[in-house]
Amino acid sequence: MIKEQYLQQLWGQLSKVPEPQRRELMFDYEDHFRIAAEHGRSEEEAARELGDPQVIARELMLSYRVVEAENGGGVVRVSKAVLATVGLGFFNLIFVLGPYIALLGVLLAFWAVSVALGILAAGVMYEGIFGQGIPLLQASFMAMTALGIGMLAGVGTHKLTRSVFKITLKYLRFNSRVMGGRDK
Amino acid sequence: MNVQFKKGVLDLCVLALTAWEDRYGYELAVAISSKFEMAVGSVYPLLNRLTVEGYFSTYLRESPEGPPRKYYKLTPLGHSHLMELVSEWNTFTRAVNELIKDGVEQ
Repeated sequence: MIKEQYLQQLWGQLSKVPEPQRRELMFDYEDHFRIAAEHGRSEEEAARELGDPQVIARELMLSYRVVEAENGGGVVRVSKAVLATVGLGFFNLIFVLGPYIALLGVLLAFWAVSVALGILAAGVMYEGIFGQGIPLLQASFMAMTALGIGMLAGVGTHKLTRSVFKITLKYLRFNSRVMGGRDK
Repeated sequence: MNVQFKKGVLDLCVLALTAWEDRYGYELAVAISSKFEMAVGSVYPLLNRLTVEGYFSTYLRESPEGPPRKYYKLTPLGHSHLMELVSEWNTFTRAVNELIKDGVEQ
């Protein structure tokens, strides 16, 4: 009875993990109850020594999210991995989520600058062709300069974004290694 | 035991237990938790992470008592990682022991 409840709770907590992988994760815990019984221990004892299924689910979710993000970055997956650490403690809320949001803000600002330079180039060209303010030749040089700087900024920001994500995931790994495991 | 101490060396200990023979999860979990005063349930996520990182491979093997059990086997990558960790650990403890000897046991 306790075994069923425990496993069901864990299964429910892991609902975000695709089923084949979830079965694989659950196997260890099913085994645990079974082998504990073979060693003559009650289900209560087995459940108690396993600890809170919610905590176990969080630990498993974190490593699942980190691996998922590593296999194909993207801001959504990396952010999900970062959010998964928050469930593991207050420390992570301040020392992981906080800096991560700050970094995202900085990246967003760089992206905005790159896009703005592109828009500026388009605007100057438009003014050169259809407007009276700037002669066409001058406008094309200005536009080319703005576009050039904008593209450089874009490439730079793209690289920066990649490395921020990579370092974030590395840190999460390091973090989960250091934080992983808890007392009885 | 000091929490910071044990967290750093858990990987090393789990890998070391499997150096010569494959073990099933329960066996590893109980061995680790009895030495480190740590919840058995936390050992499984650790085993899972080490498997995902490629240090372990797993397989099912029949047991005399009943249904098959999931065994953890050290991969070649896991083996070289273990050797690295062991040599780091030895360097580290030697340094600490020397400092203790100089500082505390003079």
